[in-house]
Formats: sequence, structure tokens, C-alpha cells
Amino acid sequence: MNLVSLALRNLKRRPIRTCLSVLGIGLAVGSALALMALSRSIQDSTREGMDEIGDGLVVMQKGASGIFGGFIPEQTVERIAAIPGVANLSGQLVAFAPSGFANGVLTLGWPDASYLWKKVPLREGRVPTAGERHVAVLGDTAATFLGKKIDDELDLFGETFRVVGIAGYTARVNRGLVLVPLVDLQEASYRPRQVTIVHVNVEHADARVELGRVQRDIEALGNVVAATANEVLDNDRNFAILEAASLAVAIIAVAMSALNVLTALAMGTQERTREIGIFAAIGWSNGRIIKSIVIEGIVICAFGCALGVLLSFLAASAFPRIPTIGNLVSVKPSGGLIAPVIGAAFLLCVLGALLPAWRAVRMLPAEALRRL
Amino acid sequence: MIEAIDRGAGLLRSSGAKSLIALRRVSRIHDRGAIAALRNVDLQIKEGDCVAIVGASGSGKSSLINILCGIDYPTSGHVIWEGRAVRRKKDWTRLRRLRIGIVFQEFNLIPTLTALENVELALLGRGLSRKHRYTRAGMVLGHVGLDHRPHHQVTRLSGGERQRVAIARAIVNEPKLLLADEPTGSLDSASAGKIADLLFDLREMTGMTLVLVTHDDALATRCARRVRLRDGAIVEDTLRTLTLGSIGSKTKA
Repeated sequence: MNLVSLALRNLKRRPIRTCLSVLGIGLAVGSALALMALSRSIQDSTREGMDEIGDGLVVMQKGASGIFGGFIPEQTVERIAAIPGVANLSGQLVAFAPSGFANGVLTLGWPDASYLWKKVPLREGRVPTAGERHVAVLGDTAATFLGKKIDDELDLFGETFRVVGIAGYTARVNRGLVLVPLVDLQEASYRPRQVTIVHVNVEHADARVELGRVQRDIEALGNVVAATANEVLDNDRNFAILEAASLAVAIIAVAMSALNVLTALAMGTQERTREIGIFAAIGWSNGRIIKSIVIEGIVICAFGCALGVLLSFLAASAFPRIPTIGNLVSVKPSGGLIAPVIGAAFLLCVLGALLPAWRAVRMLPAEALRRL
Repeated sequence: MIEAIDRGAGLLRSSGAKSLIALRRVSRIHDRGAIAALRNVDLQIKEGDCVAIVGASGSGKSSLINILCGIDYPTSGHVIWEGRAVRRKKDWTRLRRLRIGIVFQEFNLIPTLTALENVELALLGRGLSRKHRYTRAGMVLGHVGLDHRPHHQVTRLSGGERQRVAIARAIVNEPKLLLADEPTGSLDSASAGKIADLLFDLREMTGMTLVLVTHDDALATRCARRVRLRDGAIVEDTLRTLTLGSIGSKTKA
């Protein structure tokens, strides 16, 4: 027998409380992991999506809160095109368009001559021809979600578009896209001659010096910033807010689980006051008594964390089945995410166990032995 | 022969044995002075002594024994172990781990554990290997006559058997001092007799000092020395010796 087997016996002795404590920690750890994974996944999905559509640099309005937050006049796009070293570029207007029962379909508008149309991995149909108006290409998930096929009509911002193509993108966020001619989206969203971002392809983009020079030249035009897609997303204020909110909720969830351990152990310790008195009476040191209670907390926490990880994986497999989540992001709890959450849970659980343990050893053994 | 009693200090003097534990002007006050469980108690117990502490309920017997093993502290006065005052909690913990065994009326066993595991508990933290602890606990259970039920959960044992487990736990570290607080108080008369025999046999075998709190006069007479408490003070301290088949005694008034 040792302190671990003693802890296991004690937990087995109060099965309902132990199960509820483990469940509480499991739910807290699971929801913390799912939330943080969701937040990371939104960012990663957007990153994958941007990488799949464009490459090189992304130009945004200076001071824009995020990738979808700024507006750049088309004249600026023309001035960027004139910068030496720019191989090709395309403005892109982004809007969340209401469409029938769907409130916010992620819709991108590209100019007729944009090189981005050429990169669309068509599964069916075609891309719009030059000058063609009120036509749309749907990502396959968007087509399924909206129940549309080639030649069907699609309502965006109250205007009717005809589906001419279905794209087979691999990034989840792109699979939910609707692509339309830029001018149509500018009119429908009341953003004439404006784009949200500009994709810029740089000649010799592999040469850092060249990329840096083009970046500086673009920024010299004023009121715009140029960065790689990764840099843009890393500095995106919306994602930062999302991540901070997820982290805060995760911390609250994990702290709640520690409180749960504290309550369970405080009650357990209270009930076992006499037992703790016995340990003291047979010569157990304070350290050993504290250790035995903390080990009990750690054992509860270990079971809770295992359950939490399992729940987070279950959530990861369930989320894609929920269209509003699954169409946009894929939730993947990674090792890099699990380790800090579990580390925090253990730390808080140990702190939660220390309080009742400390209270227990402060009592005189004779007093503890008088308790029922 | 009859030994002398130091009437002033209440300390037995004449035997050549060394003092094991002594109380010097020990008082224990509860509830901010409302209850005086012990009042200026002086008591010396020598190595090998067998002392019965008797007295009516509420006379301070349990308070005395609690202070003798350091599970409660005096409000004033000192406890002296082998000539040195014991003041720190850490020192008391060490004494209880290595030198003092305690047997309670209510057994105070851990209900979720087996007889063997309850005994083994007292060996944890002594740096012994798991195998050594197991063997030693089993051996001591054998000494108290429980070698046939080591793996029974203590809740499935009879009162007498539980007290045997408690005694085994108290002696597994070979203490110099065994304190027994009403060890037969919760037992039927048959079991009580057997437990009393076991305690005195163990004392005989090991030569350890035995301090026994009891209501039972028959049990008290089996100890050479009897200390009577009344209202928290020692009112009688008697030492008896067997002389050519007769019992002699002298009592402090």
C-alpha cells in the first residue's frame, strides 16, 4: 500500500462524489480545449483559405481591425500594379451576404481580369467570362448548404445571381465561399470602386529583399499596409479578440474545475477529519498528510483531464456535422493545445487540494479524533 | 517492597529505572478558562512502568493521555521525554512515529483498509521497502493473534479483532511507551479479557512501558501503579509490589 492506493481507496469509497468531480473537471477541460481549438481553427482555416486563393502579399487598409475590416479605393490598386516587381495583383471585396435562409454567406468579389479566377479549382461548370454579370461560382460546401447546382438562381443582397460553376477547394473556409464578379458585389453591398484587400504576387517572391522592397513601396503609397498572409492573420485584431475571449472562457472553465476539486476535497477532508486525526496520531507528518490529500486531488484531476480530452475529441468530430460551424472551420485539438490546458488544470487542482489539506493539518489530532 | 512517594511533587522516585516521560505542572484549559481538564499535574513515568490511570468520567484521564502522546498540548507546563522538554509539533510527530504507540477505545482504524494495511499505515514514512512493511505488518498481526485474517477489511472484523489490529498498529514500530485509552471499553467481557491479556503479555515480552486509562478496577489492579484523577488533579498515586505472594501498597492521600 502507498499514498496513491490510499487515495484510490478513498475515491472509491465515495463513488458519486468522485464521479461528479471527475465529470465536472472533464467538462471544464473538454470545453476549454474545444473553445481554444475552435478559436485556433478559425484562424488556421482562414490562413489555409488565403494560402489556397492567393499568394505573396496581402494589402489592407492601414488601421483596419482585421482582414475583412478595411476598404481600399480601386485607384490604389492601380497604383500598386505600377510598382516594379509586382507580377500580378487582384483586388478582392469581401462581404457576408444574406441569401435566403442563410444570413451571412462569405462572398468574394474579383475583377473580371483577376488572375485569381484562373486558380479556381473547378469541379463543375466554369468561371465568369469577361463582362459577364450576375453570375456566381460556389464552393462545394456552399452549394450543398444552399441547395444549389449549376444554372440555379441564387439570391445575394436581394439580387439574383446564376450559378455557373462549383469549385472544389480543399480549405474548409473556401469550400463555403461564393465568388462573384467584383462590380456586382460592389453594387450589391454599396461599395462602389472599393475593395477590402489586394492580393499581390511579387516577381522573385522567394528573395526576401525583393519582397521587402515591394512591401515598402506599397506602404509608401500611404494608408495601406502590406504583409504576408501569415503576418496579416497574426496581427488581426478580430482574431486576437476571439483568441483572448476563448482563452478567458477557457481559464474560467478550468478555474471552475479547480473549484470543483477544492469543493470535493474540502468536503471529503471535512468528512475524513477523524481519519486525518488518526494519521497524525500514528505519527504521520504534516507533509505526508498534505501529500495524501493532494495526491487524491491529482488522481481526480488525472481522470477528469482524460475525460476532458476525450470530450474535446468528440466535440471535434461533432462540430463538422453542425453546418454553421462545419462549413467554416475544422476543430482539431492539438498536442500543443492539450498540454497547457492540462498543465493549468493540474496546477489549479493542486492549489485547490492544498487548501483543505492545510486546514486539515492545522487541527490538533485530539480535536480531529473527537469528530464523528 | 513498597516504594516511596514524593508527596510534594507527586513523583515516584526510588526505582533505579530512568524517567521515560514526565509532566511538570501541566494544565489543560478549554473554552477560555471555563473548563480545566487538567490542573497543575506532575507525573513521572519510568521505563518499564505499568501505570493505570483511573477516575470518574470527566476527571481528565483522556486529556492526560492525549497530552502524554502529544495529540493535545498543555495550556501551561511541560512534557519531558527522556529528560528533554518536547515542545515542537515536529518532535511529537517523530515520537509518535517511533517511540509512542496509542490504542484507542474506539479503535480508530481506517475503515476502507484491510487489517494488514491499517498496520502498514504506521510504517509508511519510515523508509522501509514495500515488501519489508508488508512482512513486518503481517508478523505483528501474527503476534496479536490475527494471522488468519490479515486481508479482511476492518469493518468485517469483530470488536475484539479490531482492537487487536489497533494494538498491532500501535506496537509495529516497537514503541517504548504504549498508551491505551480505555482499550476494553467498547468490548464485551470475553473480548475485553483477551485484549487485556494481550496487552499485558506484550508488555511482559517487550518490557515496554504501559499506561492504561481504564474504568475497570480489575484491569487497573493488573498494573503495579495506579494514578487516580479527580477534577483534573492527581489525588492518588499508588505503587504496589508483590512480596512473597502478598501485595503491598502505599497511597498518596
